[in-house]
Parts: sequence; structure tokens; C-alpha cells
Amino acid sequence: MKKYCLLAFLFVFVLSGLSLAQEKKFPVRDITNTVVWAAGGGTDVCNRIVSGEMAKIFKVNINVINKPGGVGGSIGMNDVYSRPHDGYAWAGVSESCVTAGVQGGWDKRMYVWDYFIVGGSPDVISVTPNAPYKDLKELMEAAKAKPGSIRAGASASGSIHHLNLLALEKGAGVKFNYIPYPGSAPAQTAAMTGEVSVVVTSVAEQQQLIRAGKLRPLAMLTPQPFTMKDVGAIPSSFVPYPGLSKYLPIMQAIGFAVPATVPENVKETIADTFKKALATDTIKNWADSNYYTLSGKTGKAAKEEFEKLESLFAWTLWELGAAKVNPETLKIPKP
Amino acid sequence: MLILERIWDFYVTVFFTAFNIENIILLFGSVILGIIFGAMPGLTATLGVGLLTTLTYGISTNAAMITLLGMYVGAVYGGSYGSICVNIPGTAAAAATAMDGYPLACKGEAGRALGLTTTSSFIGTMVGMFFLAVFAPIIATLALQFTSFEFFFLAFFGIMISGGLTGQDLVYKGWISGLIGLFLALIGRDHLQFFPRFTFGISELDGGLEVVPVLIGAFGIPQIIQVIRDQLSIGEAKKFQRVLPELKIISKHITTIVRSALIGVGIGAVPGIGEDIAAWVSYGAAKKASKHPENFGKGEYAGVISCETGNNACIGGAIIPLLTLGIPGSPPAVMLLGALMIHNVTPGPMLSIEHPHFITEMIAILFLASFAMFISGIFLAKQVVKVLRIPPPIFMPVVLTLCVIGSYALGTKVFNLYLMVPVGILAYFMQSMGYPIAPLVIGVILGPMADENLRRALMVSQGSFLPFFTRPVALILFLVIVWMFISQTPFYKRFLGGVKARIFKQE
Repeated sequence: MKKYCLLAFLFVFVLSGLSLAQEKKFPVRDITNTVVWAAGGGTDVCNRIVSGEMAKIFKVNINVINKPGGVGGSIGMNDVYSRPHDGYAWAGVSESCVTAGVQGGWDKRMYVWDYFIVGGSPDVISVTPNAPYKDLKELMEAAKAKPGSIRAGASASGSIHHLNLLALEKGAGVKFNYIPYPGSAPAQTAAMTGEVSVVVTSVAEQQQLIRAGKLRPLAMLTPQPFTMKDVGAIPSSFVPYPGLSKYLPIMQAIGFAVPATVPENVKETIADTFKKALATDTIKNWADSNYYTLSGKTGKAAKEEFEKLESLFAWTLWELGAAKVNPETLKIPKP
Repeated sequence: MLILERIWDFYVTVFFTAFNIENIILLFGSVILGIIFGAMPGLTATLGVGLLTTLTYGISTNAAMITLLGMYVGAVYGGSYGSICVNIPGTAAAAATAMDGYPLACKGEAGRALGLTTTSSFIGTMVGMFFLAVFAPIIATLALQFTSFEFFFLAFFGIMISGGLTGQDLVYKGWISGLIGLFLALIGRDHLQFFPRFTFGISELDGGLEVVPVLIGAFGIPQIIQVIRDQLSIGEAKKFQRVLPELKIISKHITTIVRSALIGVGIGAVPGIGEDIAAWVSYGAAKKASKHPENFGKGEYAGVISCETGNNACIGGAIIPLLTLGIPGSPPAVMLLGALMIHNVTPGPMLSIEHPHFITEMIAILFLASFAMFISGIFLAKQVVKVLRIPPPIFMPVVLTLCVIGSYALGTKVFNLYLMVPVGILAYFMQSMGYPIAPLVIGVILGPMADENLRRALMVSQGSFLPFFTRPVALILFLVIVWMFISQTPFYKRFLGGVKARIFKQE
């Protein structure tokens, strides 16, 4: 009897050792990165590039799929969060996702995720080439004269570009007729067809059209001007409107996230590989030629940045009257 | 000079690609994989291109484009296998092919039907490629004529035309089915203000109904029930002759092919709508122009030829605005856009300056892909027809299993199965009452586009309906829809008959 007990004990011991050893190894199968915004947009391309480099190091596939929709990408986030928290399901997110809570699409706080931030591209406000406005001041004067008459396109309400537009309206005391689009690319297309005359998206998303003369940049929505190849310097909007500094800049933070309850060793492996991927020449060259600033934040630093963004976005939306849920009910601290 | 340079580029790329064994393996591999993706219910061209996109990250841009375009061309063509052999279209783009392809298979002409689809898909892709090569800049401006106003009419037109073509006894039944699809499409959070509609608090419904489970449920389940209920055996495979199509049939339908190819390219160039609408419009035009419209739906060659030419010609069309403006012309082209961005090629007006050879390379690859599709198609079709020899009691449960896997595989959500089954049962009863199913699926696909664009258009015009009638393209679309509606009503037909009778009397 004793012998059997010992044997059984040994058997269990060996088995548990095996399973522990297996747990250590990550990844053993393909990873799915669900981007919560549409294909071809900034978050999508960024995640595809980084996932591709990480897949090379991991030696497994990282399938990048898109699940856009909801508020602040809530449908994609809810989908990923409902899958096993084993590190094989990532959510390709951006700063705009922090608005999902106050817009009624996400009932948790943003600290339930751990982030891996790649970086972002600053926002620029542009007009169609045939628009009569030569600089930001002229556009603002025209918007002031007839509030709500100038059509401005940006991605879905609650997106960073919409927030930039709202902040610009608030800071300069004007009102546009905001037309929402499923993403930045359709908003820019709408500007080319003449459906809207003003468009707010990031420099990375607009650079092709600006350089081809299909869109005319008026001002950067950041404190610094921006120099673009073939175009020259785009001035900062803070120069004619210093009051904007109260609301802007609202910078992009694109990357991906895993639920915070994913095992620590898995998160560490992902973070290591993530940093290695960002250090490759492929990513660096890509960032340069696409007007991105790389961040590379992970762990605590990344979480802090997103919590800051969450409180800023949630309360800005609430103040601007664009939020459905009071951030207080979600216990989001004031910025 | 520029044109000569382009032609030179084209031959150089074709030559170097065709004489590189790796490229040839990649090309045929991805085309065959594409055909399988297309033929399987639930795996669509969009999904196939999307899945392959990440795999191409490590390889050169040229090889990546070979893989992705091969997949795209193969999948759009492969959809016809399911349509013809089992009356379950593998992709939405092949739904129109089932209209005449399946009756042909029932007559024992599955082999000939597959041969015709292979040839017409090949010709369609080639025509699309030709337009991409020659008229790209002109067609690109067409894409910019479409704003929210036009998109609404276009989506509505798509639903109406598939409804008008499929009604067996009464045309209204097709439209009713289309409107049911449109209604189903409204489920979920709306895309402009995110208000939940008809979700009944079920969070899975927030994102709306997914197209794939609806497609599989609506086409697959009624067909399976019917075959098992009636002990139908599909076609007599013994009669199966050759897959290589008789040139006679092709040359007889040359006008249909040219017309459908032009329609396909035009529709492909318009952003947002793709192969499915191209197939339906081509089918409709072929029926309108035919001397025997009553034969359509009963196994007419022109029916199969028109939709397969149309949906494959759409590929070249969809790539035009993608490369010249950075606006993808169809859902799989959206995936291509992502793939190009990964390879650091940003499509758009600057493309021809930053990567001067790129467009020509794409044309050359599309050229090779259509050849690869033709060759693989002829070989595969021969084998696929043998599937029909399997007795239905064994075959149908296998199809059912594939349907279930297809619905689940996309997003691995069990909820999709809960969606597929009720839709299938609804579709079965609708079909028993003579309501066609295809418009319902088209309604679900195009519904969100119609809804979103109508409301966005009204935001742009600040509540005024006037731009719907003052914008030229919108007005044309509106008049076409009205004419389509009136010309199908019994009242108009009586009126027309009366006029004709009066004219003849006077003579």
C-alpha cells in the first residue's frame, strides 16, 4: 500500500513539474491581436508592424484582426477581455479607448489592463485646397461668424481626433458641424470628396494627402510646430490661441494591452520581446518615415500614462458634455 | 515614353516572377488556398487576405503581393464551387452564381458550369487588370464622386436589385426579404451615436449581427434540410463531361462577358461595395438584355457567366482607388491596404512618385494570378465535381459540420452559432413560402452602410433631403431605383401591355 502511495505521489509530483515547466514556456501557440479600430488606420498599421517584428522573435504567428465598433473601441475590448487571460489574446488599443467607460461601453476602469505603448503621431487640422481659409485664424473667424455651419470631419465621437476638435472649439470659442466617420481614413476621403471642408487627424495619417496637395494643413494641435518634407513648417495653433494650452495637447498613445491578471512571467516575456522589437531598425525606420514618435513604455509607467489619459479624457468629455456616464460613478479621479 | 517604360516594367516583372520557382510556388499555393477559402462556407476573401497579411510580414513586398493577390483572386473565384455543387455559396460574392449554377448542377451539368465559371472568372480578372493598367487615373476620379448621399442610394440599390432578381413568383417577395435583412442589420449599437438598438440588453448583440453566421445560416441550413427531406440527389455525376469549356459557348456570350466585366470594374472602383453587388448587377443586366429572361434561374449559361465575370472584374476595379487615392474599393481591398502599410508602401496620390514601379508590379502580379487561377481552377474543378457522387445522407452532415465550424471559427464565438440556427430556421420557412433568401443576406451586408450614410448625409445637409436630388450622381441613382421599382410592378406591366396593344391596333 505504502509503495503505491509513494508511486502515486511521485507520479503527481512529476506531472506537476511537467505542467509547471510547460507554464513557463510562452508562447507555445499563435497569438491573436485584436485591433479595436478599423483596418488601415494608425492603430491597425502600428500593431501590424510591431506584431510582425515580435512574431519573428517569438517564432509563432501573431494574427492581427480588427474588431471596430462600439464606443471607444468597446466592442473589441469587451471581446478580448472575455477570452482567457493567458496572454494569447491582445487588444490593439490607442489612447481613445479610455473613453469607453464614460460613454457607457465599458464598465471597468482602465487599470484592468497592462499596456505596451509603441508611440503616436501629433494631430493637425487641415482644410480642402479650395477652401478660402489661408490660416487657422481665418477659419476660426469664419466659424465664429456662423456657428455650426462649417463641416468638420473626424473619426467617431470620443476618438482622440474628435477630442482635439472639441478642445479646439472650447479653447477658441467656436462651433463646427462635427460629422463622425468610422475612422481617420474615411474622414480624409470625405474631405477629398468635399463632404467636409475641415478635417482633424494625425500627421501620420495625413502626410500623403498633404504632400500631394489634396489637403492644406493649417496648424498643429501641439505646442510645437512641425516640419514636413516637401511642405515646410506647419505652425502651432498655440501661437494665435494661447488659451488652447488649457485643453491641448492630447497626444496619441498607440500600442496593445493584455488583461492585468495575465501571469507575471508571461507579461515579462511579452515586455522583453516588445522592447527588443522596438529596438530593431525596421521599427525605427518605419517610425521615422511615418512621422511617429516611439515611446516603448511598459508595466507601471505605461499603466500610469493610460490612467492619466483616462482621467483627462473622461473628465474632458464630461465637461464638454459629450459623456453619457458620470466619471464619478466609475470612480475616475479628476485630472 | 512613359507608357513604353510601363510596358517594359510589366514584362520584366512578369518574367522575373514567372521564372522564380519560389514565386511560382507562392503564387499557386496562395491561389489554391484562396479557392479553398472561397469554397468553404464561412471563410471569405476578406478573412483570407486578412489572415495571410500578418504572415507576409517577413517576406519581400513583391512576394507578399503575390501571396495576397493570389488569395484574393482565388477566393473570389472559389466561392462559385459551393454555389454550383451544393447551392450554398462559399462567399457572399457567389450568391448570385447559385441562381443558375445549382440548377445546372441538378441537370447534371456541374462540370460544364464550373468550366464556364473558371473561364469567365479568368476573363473578368484580366479585364479588371486591363482597366487598372490603362484607365486608373480616370476611374479614380469616379470614386471621389461618391459621398454619403450616393452611398446611401447605392446600398439601397444593391438590396433592391437582388430582391428584384430573385423573386420566383412575385417580385415583392424579394423586396420584403431584402427589407427583413435591412431590419436585421439595424440590430446593435448604431455607428454614429452608439445608441443600442434592439439589443434587449444582450451584450453580444452590441456589435450587430455578424455577416458570416447569417450567410451560412440563411443559405446552408435550408438547403441541408431540403436535401435530406426530399432525398434529393444533386446532379448525375456520370453525365459529367469535360471541364474545359467549349469555346462556342464563350464566344456566344461575348457581349455578356464584356458588359459584366465593365460593370464589375465600375462597381469595384466605388469604395465600400464589392464583389457581391458586382455579381448581382451583372446578373441583372444579363437578364435584362437576354432574349429569354424566363430561363434565368433555371440553369442559364449567361447567368453563371455574368456574375462570375462581374465579381472577378471587381478585383482590378477595387485596386484602382486603393493605389491612386489610398481608398480601398472593396472589403478585401481594405485588408490589402493594411498589408501595403505593413510593407511601408503607403498607397495614395504620392505612390507613383515614391514607388514608381509599384503599380505596374501590381498589374503584372494580377496578370499572373489570373493565369494561376485558371490553371488551378481547371484541375480542381475536375476533382470537385466528384464530390457530387457522394450520397447526400453522408455528404450533407459533412456540409452541416463545415457550416458550424465556419460560423464558429470567425472570432471563435459560440454566440455566432445561436445566431446561425435561428436565422437558418427563419430562412427555411421563408423559402418554403417562396421568399428568396439572397436579398436577406445582401440586406444584412449593406444595411449598416445604408443606415449610417443616410443619417450622416442628413447631418451634413443639416436635416435637408434636397441634396439627394440636386447632386447629379445621387439623382441618377435615385431615378434608377424608382424606375427599377416601377418597371417591376404589375401596374406598369399592364400599362405597357395596354400601350403596346393600342399601337398595334392603330397599325
